[in-house]
Amino acid sequence: MALRMWASSTANALKLSSSASKSHLLPAFSISRCFSSGLFYLKSIGWCFGFEVLEGLKYANSHEWVKHEGSVATIGISDHAQDHLGEVVFVELPEEKSSVTKEKNFGAVESVKATSEIISPISGEVIEVNTKLADSPGLINSSPYEDGWMMKVKPSNPAELESLMGPKEYTKFCEEEDAAH
Amino acid sequence: MDDVQEMRSPRTLHGGLEARHSSPSYTLGKRRTDHNLLIPEADLKGLGAELHYTQRGGDITFHGPHQAILYPIISLRSIGIGARNYVETLERSMLEFASVYGVKARAGHKGETGVWVGDRKIGAIGVRISSGITSHGLAFNIDPDLKYFEHIVPCGIADKEVTSLRRETDDMLLPSEEVIHEQLVSCLAKAFSYDDVVWKEDPSFILDNQEEYKD
Repeated sequence: MALRMWASSTANALKLSSSASKSHLLPAFSISRCFSSGLFYLKSIGWCFGFEVLEGLKYANSHEWVKHEGSVATIGISDHAQDHLGEVVFVELPEEKSSVTKEKNFGAVESVKATSEIISPISGEVIEVNTKLADSPGLINSSPYEDGWMMKVKPSNPAELESLMGPKEYTKFCEEEDAAH
Repeated sequence: MDDVQEMRSPRTLHGGLEARHSSPSYTLGKRRTDHNLLIPEADLKGLGAELHYTQRGGDITFHGPHQAILYPIISLRSIGIGARNYVETLERSMLEFASVYGVKARAGHKGETGVWVGDRKIGAIGVRISSGITSHGLAFNIDPDLKYFEHIVPCGIADKEVTSLRRETDDMLLPSEEVIHEQLVSCLAKAFSYDDVVWKEDPSFILDNQEEYKD
């Protein structure tokens, strides 16, 4: 078997993220104008075409959201995440009564021939999973914060929620991740 | 910068290209769609083929001699793209490469990720993203024995043929496979906006970080 390795370098990684992530919003010449006009122009485009970020939820930097109500935390992935994944065709979720750990993967989502791990934002015991996702995985795209919820967890360490981002912080995080590399 | 740091840096993209001379194999993705293998698993040995289960996305496919299999290892977060954009860039790499030979290929329609010439599939994609790092990748048919594809529903899409660069270029004299591989990697580098390509012959670094490729 012939196995050859290769490495390729770039002088300017910025060029990639601007065209790749915003190409579905604007044609190429407008992107370069965004940058020359500065952050203000990008921000208003972000508001018009941006992804939905809901109030009242906490967010992880791996783009999962948590809704904490009493002793139950409901978890799913954000609108930003579902858009970047593409159409979801398959979801793998943990078993009920299994445990999940903060920042460790708890399942996977398949879209466009790519299997992406999903990371748990908190630790705890899985009390329920969304069985509708087996037949309707696209709910994650059409309703990422409601019908597309993935699992309900009993948090083992509620203090972990405090290290997650609030909506404003998460919005800024998404903008920075998409724009500035 | 140590090797792992360098791998995660957006300024350098690492990857492997395998030119398979070992036994032909059928591979399944995470969904284990083995109903798309049309012959009993026991018959594979008679064909000289193996069956492997992987954690990648996508359906069943075939890998064998005279296919170029590329697996870029990249931290998607470091270059600011998600799965969809990554896969589209892999598709663009293959389209660009096909056009070098005058082959008019197109990206797949919705639900048919891959690269097609008309209704004939020439390039397949199956990726895994774990901790934001990609593994597996793409397979482009240079001149594999297309009969192997008759024993599967390739990528789970029935009634569509599979083709190859050889088939689509008729009498054209193709360069050596080594040259073809270098061209394909250059197209990939260009699609990701990377500038130059350095080839390394020692696979040990990548294999240490890609332990599940050998599913």
